[in-house]
Amino acid sequence: MLSRVATKYWRGRVSVSTKRHASSVPSERDVVIVGGGPAGLALASSLASSKLVRESLKVTLVEAGDLSKVREWDPPRGTYSNRVSSITNSSHEFLQGTGAWDHVEQGRTQPIEEMEVWDGISDARIHFSAGDAAVEPASQIARLTENLNLQRGLLRHLSQFSEIELADKVKVDSIVQDEQEGGGWPLVHLSDGRVLRTRLLVGADGFNSPVRSFAGIQSYGWAYDTHGVVATLFHAPRNSLQSPNTVAYQRFLPTGPIAFLPLSETASSLVWSTRPPLAAALKALDPAVFAGMVNAAFRLPETSVRYLNNEMLQAHLAGTPLSLAQFHEELEFREKSHMIDSRSALSSVRRPADSGMPPDGAEDYPPLVTSVQPGTVASFPLKFSHADSYIGEGRGARTVLVGDAAHTIHPLAGQGLNLGLADVEALSECIVDALSLGGDIGSYTALTPYARTRYFENHKMLSACDKLHKLYASTAEPVVWARSVGVEVLNELDALKGALMMSAGTTKTRGPPGQVGWELAARGVEGFAKNVDNVRVLGSSIAGVVGAGLRQLWQQNSQGRRL
Amino acid sequence: MRLSSLCHGAFSSTYARAPFQLPTSLAARRALTRSYHTNYPAQNAYVPSTSSGSTVNQDEIAHFSRLSSLWWDEHGEFGQLHKMNPTRVKFIRGKLVESALEDDLNANVDEIRPLKGKAVLDVGCGGGVLSESLARLGGITLGIDASHSNIQIASMHAAADPALRSRTIGHTGGSLEYKHTSAEDLLREHGPNSFDVVCSMEVLEHVNNPRSFLDSCAQLVKPGGYLFLSTIARTPLAYFLTIFMAEDLLRFVAPGTHTYSKYVNPHELEEFFRSYKSSLTGRNWITGNGPISRVQAETRGMMYVPWRGEWVLLDRGSKWAEGCNYLFWVRKPVEA
Repeated sequence: MLSRVATKYWRGRVSVSTKRHASSVPSERDVVIVGGGPAGLALASSLASSKLVRESLKVTLVEAGDLSKVREWDPPRGTYSNRVSSITNSSHEFLQGTGAWDHVEQGRTQPIEEMEVWDGISDARIHFSAGDAAVEPASQIARLTENLNLQRGLLRHLSQFSEIELADKVKVDSIVQDEQEGGGWPLVHLSDGRVLRTRLLVGADGFNSPVRSFAGIQSYGWAYDTHGVVATLFHAPRNSLQSPNTVAYQRFLPTGPIAFLPLSETASSLVWSTRPPLAAALKALDPAVFAGMVNAAFRLPETSVRYLNNEMLQAHLAGTPLSLAQFHEELEFREKSHMIDSRSALSSVRRPADSGMPPDGAEDYPPLVTSVQPGTVASFPLKFSHADSYIGEGRGARTVLVGDAAHTIHPLAGQGLNLGLADVEALSECIVDALSLGGDIGSYTALTPYARTRYFENHKMLSACDKLHKLYASTAEPVVWARSVGVEVLNELDALKGALMMSAGTTKTRGPPGQVGWELAARGVEGFAKNVDNVRVLGSSIAGVVGAGLRQLWQQNSQGRRL
Repeated sequence: MRLSSLCHGAFSSTYARAPFQLPTSLAARRALTRSYHTNYPAQNAYVPSTSSGSTVNQDEIAHFSRLSSLWWDEHGEFGQLHKMNPTRVKFIRGKLVESALEDDLNANVDEIRPLKGKAVLDVGCGGGVLSESLARLGGITLGIDASHSNIQIASMHAAADPALRSRTIGHTGGSLEYKHTSAEDLLREHGPNSFDVVCSMEVLEHVNNPRSFLDSCAQLVKPGGYLFLSTIARTPLAYFLTIFMAEDLLRFVAPGTHTYSKYVNPHELEEFFRSYKSSLTGRNWITGNGPISRVQAETRGMMYVPWRGEWVLLDRGSKWAEGCNYLFWVRKPVEA
């Protein structure tokens, strides 16, 4: 009957050559993972680490690209890939648990022990340090890792398990549902002519997920009018009087947040979210000017950053990109007009090699960028999207989505990869649980706990980052005032910071402290704002917006836990 | 909540008037009734095969395929049964491990597949929801049902799954077979003491003569083996949930599916096995008059928690534990 079904299928496709026909008898698999990115590889690696899975399931990962390039990735010392992720402590624990973390080159990762986050307009600041995590002591908030380092580690981990089949340089031509009575399993037709009939089809195939299309799962979302500009930056090491380069910096500019993420003592990664025309202009800049723009964007008052952006954009549109001399002239003028002393921490003017005392407040800003690693400046559009469901039904039965196939998030909290890893952790737990109860791991019943664990958690984080993006994109005075009050109130309360950090995935978000934190945060903002006289003039609506936002987070938080 | 849509299948040729869950739609009900009446006299189990040489009648296949979609539609009529299944398996697995350790604390118990190598019988297997799980956990499983169409459906569903299609399920040592028969006929055929584990889930409340049914099931169990049952207690709560709400008010299932007077209370099962002996010289399955030792028998309540979307085993002795749906386990004395 199987061959009958397959024959019928192939007959319907006239373009298929007879050579392929011969190999079209489906090969039976239990799990087919489409996509060899971090989420797909992490799922394969996590499944491989379970003895029960290795004994019971036939797992195949299909990837269109060449995985040997990732496996043999060996960049010159001191250079870094521009795609990096901050691995939160819970993701870190998960990767340690599966054994994959041992294969990630530790020397190329850097702990983030502190975070400086501030408002681009009002300069209101929040300072996070690992010690603030109220729940359990942690030496780091997160660990910065190049995505390729992680992917290579996952592949090395996987190479220990011959049970997991990796099929790379193979595309998915089409996915159809088999017509066998009582079946309805997905048939995955590969570009090498093979057909895989699978109990469970996992879409780890990114934003434009073919698996999601097959499953008929709708996804809602929008593109932000924003691109993320990334680059690997070089700088002098912090001197002996300063803490090491383990501080992440993020400034919320109205055009989008700019983030500086430490990779080593002398290298850091840039993620600069900005308007698409500005992103295009930035990419076209002379590397030295680019470095200067980055330094200025972290330091100059917002009006001057905006001015420099405009100058850069005009020059770019005129076809004569800003020269280094022009840029320096502009910069010096702006600094002078703001009365920024050239020796102060706010000055981007390059000083002779650091000697003696760093200026006051130097640690409030990232180290001065001296150069940009060639070929690392790139940009990509930012999107918000969330699938309506993670599990396929009916004609799309036996499918499940993880990572970017299920959701894409604004990178401002660095949570994209972590959400994907959390999905993978939950899905592999779900698969192992179902196996241990004799369940059919492709059935809706078996997969439901996965969706129940992840959907609201992800939605909460997606919405929170979306709201923060929108909140900080505003330059309207009352909004700036309110959000600054919000930020400073938060800075006063260590417990609240702990709560914020916890929900950013630093530690497992379990138990009541997180809930209490969000509730307190919401009350704190409202309470503080109500006591300020100005509030009568402004009306309490803005404070309400911030307070309600936090309260909504708290509610989603607690709902997510209850569900 | 569809507490009443949990009938696990038809169990016996002699008792059944409503042999399995009637779907609510009239067309589907007619289809079921037709299949029941027209196919019932066939005594030979008729298992569709995946091999191309089979004499499968395509019309029949299409017909059973429609019914199959009822049993295996996880959002449909039998949705609660699917949701309940992991909970039942958890209870079965737990009791097997617990008893094995009770027998020998140093025993090398396979906690993941405690059914490995054991002869397992699922009485009233319906579409095979439980049977498939038992086989995956290593049980040499036989699912029986008095409804011919249920056996067709179960066989067809298992045939689509390569892990169940082969006679032996890989490394687990499990296997799965279905047979159109009743517990009584099977007892006549196989004789007593044939199975290490006998399960009959959500069947007892549909039986006209529960004592005789229990006796057949009990006889099929090997000495030292286990009998697992699940059913509904005869309490006002159960009446409210499974008959008033699910049948009369919400029409989740056809009115008349359940008969309140047929519900069985846990203490009635306990009383039955307190006085039940497998042979004249053997001991009673449950000894003593006081509280029952967990080594001999156990009752656990089971409740659907809507906000979690799953069934949970209730704590032992909790207030509502035995008020509605419950699982019952009893062990046949070794010397019997």
